[in-house]
Amino acid sequence: MRAKLLRFTPMALITLAIAAGPLFIDDRYLLKVLTFVAINVVIVTGMALLFGYAGQISMGHAAFYGIGAYASGYATTTLGLPWIVGLFAAIVFSAVGGVLLALPSLRLKGHYLAMATLGFGELMKIAFIEAQPITGGPDGLGGIPYPRIGSFEMAAPVGTYLLAWGIAGLVLLLVRNVVTQRPGRAMRALHGSELGAMACGIDIVGLKVRVFTVSAVLAGIAGSLYAHLVGFVSPSTFSLHLSVILIAMAVVGGSGSLAGPAIAATLLTLVPFADAIIPGLSRDALALIQDWEADVYGLIIILVMLFAPGGVSGFMRRRRAVARDAS
Amino acid sequence: MGGSELLQFVISGLKNGSIYALVSLGFTIVYASTGVINFAQGEFYMLGGMFSVWVFATFGLPLPLAALLGILLTAAVGVVFELLAIRPRKDGDQLALIIITVGGSLLLSSLARHFFGPDELALPAFTAGPSVRLFGAAIERQTLWIWGLTLVAVVLLNWVYNKTKLGRAMRACAIDRDAARLVGIDTRMVVTVSFALAAALGGLAGLSVAPLTQTAFDVGARVGVKGFAAAILGGLGNPIAAVAGGLMLGLIESMSIAYLSSTYKDAVSLGVLLLVLFVRPQGLFTRSRKEKV
Amino acid sequence: MIRRMRMLFAIACVIALLVTGCASDDSGSDTGSSTSGEAYRIGAVLSLSGTYAGLGAPERNAIELEVARINDEGGVHGRPIEVLFEDDGTDEAKAQAAVTSLLEKEDVIAIIGATGTGQSMAVRADVERASIPQVSMAGGSVITDDFNDWVFQTPWSNRVVVPFTLDYLKEQGVESIALISDSGGYGKDGRQVTLDFVDEYGIEIVADETFNRGDADMTAQLTKIKSAEPDVVFMWSAGSEAATILKNWIDLWGAGPLRFKSGGNANQSAAGAPLIIGAPGNARVELAEGAGDAAEGFEFAAGKILLLEAYGDCVGERGVASDFIDRYTAEYGEGPDIFAGHAYDAINIVVEAMRRLPEDFTSSDLRDEIENTADLVGVGGTFTYAADDHNGLSEEDIVMYRISDGVWTLVEGD
Repeated sequence: MRAKLLRFTPMALITLAIAAGPLFIDDRYLLKVLTFVAINVVIVTGMALLFGYAGQISMGHAAFYGIGAYASGYATTTLGLPWIVGLFAAIVFSAVGGVLLALPSLRLKGHYLAMATLGFGELMKIAFIEAQPITGGPDGLGGIPYPRIGSFEMAAPVGTYLLAWGIAGLVLLLVRNVVTQRPGRAMRALHGSELGAMACGIDIVGLKVRVFTVSAVLAGIAGSLYAHLVGFVSPSTFSLHLSVILIAMAVVGGSGSLAGPAIAATLLTLVPFADAIIPGLSRDALALIQDWEADVYGLIIILVMLFAPGGVSGFMRRRRAVARDAS
Repeated sequence: MGGSELLQFVISGLKNGSIYALVSLGFTIVYASTGVINFAQGEFYMLGGMFSVWVFATFGLPLPLAALLGILLTAAVGVVFELLAIRPRKDGDQLALIIITVGGSLLLSSLARHFFGPDELALPAFTAGPSVRLFGAAIERQTLWIWGLTLVAVVLLNWVYNKTKLGRAMRACAIDRDAARLVGIDTRMVVTVSFALAAALGGLAGLSVAPLTQTAFDVGARVGVKGFAAAILGGLGNPIAAVAGGLMLGLIESMSIAYLSSTYKDAVSLGVLLLVLFVRPQGLFTRSRKEKV
Repeated sequence: MIRRMRMLFAIACVIALLVTGCASDDSGSDTGSSTSGEAYRIGAVLSLSGTYAGLGAPERNAIELEVARINDEGGVHGRPIEVLFEDDGTDEAKAQAAVTSLLEKEDVIAIIGATGTGQSMAVRADVERASIPQVSMAGGSVITDDFNDWVFQTPWSNRVVVPFTLDYLKEQGVESIALISDSGGYGKDGRQVTLDFVDEYGIEIVADETFNRGDADMTAQLTKIKSAEPDVVFMWSAGSEAATILKNWIDLWGAGPLRFKSGGNANQSAAGAPLIIGAPGNARVELAEGAGDAAEGFEFAAGKILLLEAYGDCVGERGVASDFIDRYTAEYGEGPDIFAGHAYDAINIVVEAMRRLPEDFTSSDLRDEIENTADLVGVGGTFTYAADDHNGLSEEDIVMYRISDGVWTLVEGD
């Protein structure tokens, strides 16, 4: 009993720290940035699932992010439906998109999914620009309201912060449960050896499709949160560049654990907003960081894949192994 | 639509198609020797234009020399990229290498922005003068250059592939890398050469179209996707298929502008990519070699 | 061992939280900010990169010039003003992020911007949520047609430019036009307003093509337009694509210059190409430079700042303009264009409103006072805002130009 309590204390402390954030932090800007961190944790968790457990990458995940954002935005502004319906729409449409894309691509061996997601991502970007009646075209969709349940509105900065972290926490909990049980074991078997997994009777295509769909849905949920936080979405956000940034976060996070991607998402999201956490940072210094942001991301991807392919998760695993050997 | 309008669209399609063909060749060459899709190929296209403009503007060299240097510099970047980012990954894990090329693409375009600036740069046309007229349609002189250079590149590549020892080595690697190594072929060198060639071809495409459309640090991604779609359309692994795929994609785009609407031309290319991936992943011009799961 | 590590990490998180919490600034509430402390801070969102970079650069120059002048002359209520610039990269999402940063982090009292119509529309939700007035330098009529209490505009709205241009075309005997427009805010707006007005002038639209920002070749669209045989092509593009369109068009016809067709004869053998007419968005030096000979004969409506003689007898406006032209040229080595003018007007409208208020005011007060602007002589014209008019200008404030030998000339007798 005591051992179990002790195991959960670190997580409990972290959860408490996050939840208590708005009590201690007055800075609206910082709270908004931390809300972005939560949104990225959600989407990167999905990408890490795909990468870590299904050994695939998606080069078009920004598309699902966008589908979620537009579905939620359209539902709440043009159709005037309640926020929860918008979130539901985001989930449904990204799930459908995920399945439609994954089924034909994952039936093939090799990296056809990567190629298909690239094509899909670019196609969706065009769709976002051209479907003007729904998406507002290149000028985007504005006036998206804050999330609201009944008469209770979750406004920025505090309301959206708590909502985003609440959802992130829920997502992590759910995914963790899945990963430690049978689907997770199947996924790890898949990652270890596809042939072996097949030999055990695991339906690998079905599994891969399900993993992809889950990662698409997570991106959609993140998109919905983004739309309501920021109040405005435009097609230029959901670009190949964003998909590559997400790949960077997933790769740095590594596979095999959920903490790794979450930590990677947190760190990498905070870098361009360094002025929020370093109080004295000058505008020039910030401009310099933002100027080199893309170069750093590209370099990080290469370096991690060459020298630390396990990412943060691998690092943590090694420390755990060392500790285990030592004790 | 009148005959001369149709011809105009065909000409435009073949012009873009040649560019796609060169980029697509780059994809195919690297894929053949490594099994990896090099997502940085678009950046080689970008660098070809950028380096040429830079050499031309900074050193005042005559245009042909600047163009040649542009190609050589781009090939050099390709080699350096292979040596530093690809080769160290000794296990040749395809997924890892694909991700590395994705990172490389981001890194190269950002470095280009720092080095060359964010603005669009222009190269003068290789030969000045008005367009050539053919049955009421206009062919820009630069278009003739593009076709000529593409033809030369393809013929040269064909000669290298079929008539040189290097070409034989490359073909051997494409069939089976392990077997090639067993018979004493230096596969690592083949990989490096492949990257150099792919970069040179991409660079050639970039600089020959720069006088028409200007070049900037971010042009790589868009053309990369098109060249990639062309490679898939034709069929990865086969140079002739790559070129055919490129020309075909250019024509498909042009016809969609002519008969549908200019807004959907990119959507059509991407739709073609997805369709080919789902229905006939080995491409139109190669025999079926991809196994299904 | 592992547990201890996790514990340490968790405790580190809590400490980090307390530290950032205590170190972070106390920001004002969400209902707008009041002035406090030394300088008045104004935010400016401009396109300093991307396809509108050529518009953003002169805007920034003009604002910096004016801020220096105002501060040299003693500032406002004895306090200096400070303008914080952010680059939106001609991108709606970036504009939105820039405004968020300016509003949440820098606590500005007003936003000048953006350069482009799409970007200006993208930020209005934030500006409204924060109760901060926005003065836009973009010409899309949607900015003031889609009326928002917090948003003002300094350029001539397309709703003023289009009738002026169509009137001119009608006088030249034009009966059919083809549209080619950018799919972004400005182009979309210009196209829509043109479609709204053509019937009134009895002009027929024979082709309607669009292109996207960043497209490198418009030959396909222009080929379709050529087959439709319009008298004139009406182009709505404020970015660098305009030069490409001119070049592609001349290339299709063989040689320039651009000129009005005579007698509507489709099989003309005379040299030249049917006229392309543009809009204020084309009043940029880069257009003539980028298009070279292809720009010869190009015409467009724009304000009087491009050529001092356009002000004619309007002494007051001419005085303000020539003073601005002199100072700008002395500082930057070249004359100001209409975009510098829009920026000049924007900063002065805000500053004059600030002067009319007492030293401490809320951003709400500032908005109200901006709306009270009356007969303020600017570079773009004389501004009078009202509760239902946040544009403030009329057709009197624009003239028709033509590019001859690479420079702007006035088209006589309009």
